[in-house]
Amino acid sequence: MRYLTMALSKGRLTDLSIELLEEAGIDCSELKKNTRKLILTDEKNRIRFFLAKPSDVPTYVEYGAADMGIVGRDTLLEEGRNLYEVLNLGFSACRMCVAGPKELEGNMDNLTITRVATKYPEIAKEYFRHKRRESVEIIKLNGSVELAPLVGLSEVIVDLVETGKTLKENGLVILDVIADISARMIVNRVSMKMESERIGRIIKNIRSCLEKRNV
Amino acid sequence: MKRWNIYTPDGMQDILFDRCYVKRDLENKLRKLFLVSGYREVETPTVEFYDVFSGDQELIPQESMFKFTDQQGRILVLKPDMTIPVARIAATKIKDNIWPVKCFYIGNTFSYNELGGGKQKEFTQAGVEMLGVKSPEADAEVIALAVQALQLSGLEEFQIDIGQVDFFRGLMEESGLSPAETEEIRELIERKDFVGVEHLVNSHAIPYEIKDIVLNLPGYFGSKELIEELERRNITGKALKALEYLKEVLDILDDWGYGKYVSVDLGMVQSMNYYTGIVFRGFTYDVGFPVLSGGRYDNLISKFGKDCPATGFSLGVNMVLTALERRRKLPEEPAGGYFILYRREGRKKAFSITNKLKNDNIKTEIDISGMDIEMAKTYAKSKGLDKIIFVKNEEDIETIHV
Repeated sequence: MRYLTMALSKGRLTDLSIELLEEAGIDCSELKKNTRKLILTDEKNRIRFFLAKPSDVPTYVEYGAADMGIVGRDTLLEEGRNLYEVLNLGFSACRMCVAGPKELEGNMDNLTITRVATKYPEIAKEYFRHKRRESVEIIKLNGSVELAPLVGLSEVIVDLVETGKTLKENGLVILDVIADISARMIVNRVSMKMESERIGRIIKNIRSCLEKRNV
Repeated sequence: MKRWNIYTPDGMQDILFDRCYVKRDLENKLRKLFLVSGYREVETPTVEFYDVFSGDQELIPQESMFKFTDQQGRILVLKPDMTIPVARIAATKIKDNIWPVKCFYIGNTFSYNELGGGKQKEFTQAGVEMLGVKSPEADAEVIALAVQALQLSGLEEFQIDIGQVDFFRGLMEESGLSPAETEEIRELIERKDFVGVEHLVNSHAIPYEIKDIVLNLPGYFGSKELIEELERRNITGKALKALEYLKEVLDILDDWGYGKYVSVDLGMVQSMNYYTGIVFRGFTYDVGFPVLSGGRYDNLISKFGKDCPATGFSLGVNMVLTALERRRKLPEEPAGGYFILYRREGRKKAFSITNKLKNDNIKTEIDISGMDIEMAKTYAKSKGLDKIIFVKNEEDIETIHV
């Protein structure tokens, strides 16, 4: 039997993904070992795993180098890849928001030039272009985005908000919510057809685990 | 100044020797299949006016086309698609009105694709278009031809998924959603984003029966029984007709013995906005993208001034080659042939031997660089020639096996 390949996001999603897969009857013991091997296997179910940088997971899946993957919806929106988004795994939930200083609350429309600092330039562009019908200046940052409005680099930011604590401590407020974010299971378009039975079974098992969790 | 003279642009490739042989071999096989099926070849220009592919309904996204201008400042493009130029021909050049007109093409198209997984910016497409007939038999014939094309390419495991765009359109017309909302749902279904579809459908007042089917549409793929199951539900009008049409196509393919290669996917609601009925895509292992795609496009030709139903498909030659390569199934150039070595006295004879072999369709090369036997052996080996004929004079001729 051919191996099914699954790409998992390295980082905060890793442990949560492994936990869910184990619940669904997939053997992740090799994954949990602290090993330097890049590709790990569950021989019984003929599944191979690898960990990749989250933003690379949709790329592996789109090109069919991985049949399926687990990744945050923020990454999916940002990467805009051609693939199937089949399950909302529920964990790692947060919101993609536009945030800025309190004075802007309710009068964002009065800004003549909007500069937006963000780690997610595509999401920001899409939101301002289509939802607000505005051309904006996007400034791509790689971390601590909250800093930008404080030091005058930008008027607003687009970023993930989990509890809102960081925003609050820095005197920023949520101006609009762009999307609800959580971890998703994604599948390559061709794999879904060619391996529909095996992939369908994995999806079904995971779905019933999720339902049990929600009870 | 940086000089780029030793590079090729991104996504443009040199195709050399073995690979080129294999590619041309596949193209020739396809050409033979199409010809013997009664299709006739057309060649359309590499450069067309931008207007051919744009229009009110943007047929091809403008950001994916290579553009430049002619001397009058009109916008030109490198052709991004083969079907649209054929539609232009159908409307403007075919005058005798004897239908169907069946044509095929094998040629290169250009698009600003992101690279990888077999995708290039210049790529070869081979396909057929059947113009002037709308019948389940016409759709079935084109799908059967697609199956035959994949079979003869050497791919053994492949699958063709058939969808029906009109089923989705029919449902949406009854749902009362606006075209913009319909488009939004279409995109979500195309992505099999169950979560998004649910969110959107639930936020509108849609009749329960339709709502339930739309919600499940991303998951409606599998065998023919799926259609029978849906027909028992309360579906009417355009959507029901669409299902019946699809079932007829599948029944015909069953009779022709192609049932095992095809399956149904009602969640396939193609983004290319010219499709109007049956749509299909071909898949195989080891490439993450479809190797062929096609469908019915009854409204496309009218954009060029004539009403004419049509259907067709196009196979990605490079994508098929990538799949064959990954499965290690690329055919090899047949070995064998002669290398002719001669002395001054045998020159006349050597040339006549060479020509005789060539006329018999045997690969033969004559020495042009004064090689000795050892050099000749090395060269012959590198070219896959297995015999050397050494012509010393008119009488003294020796054959050496390499």
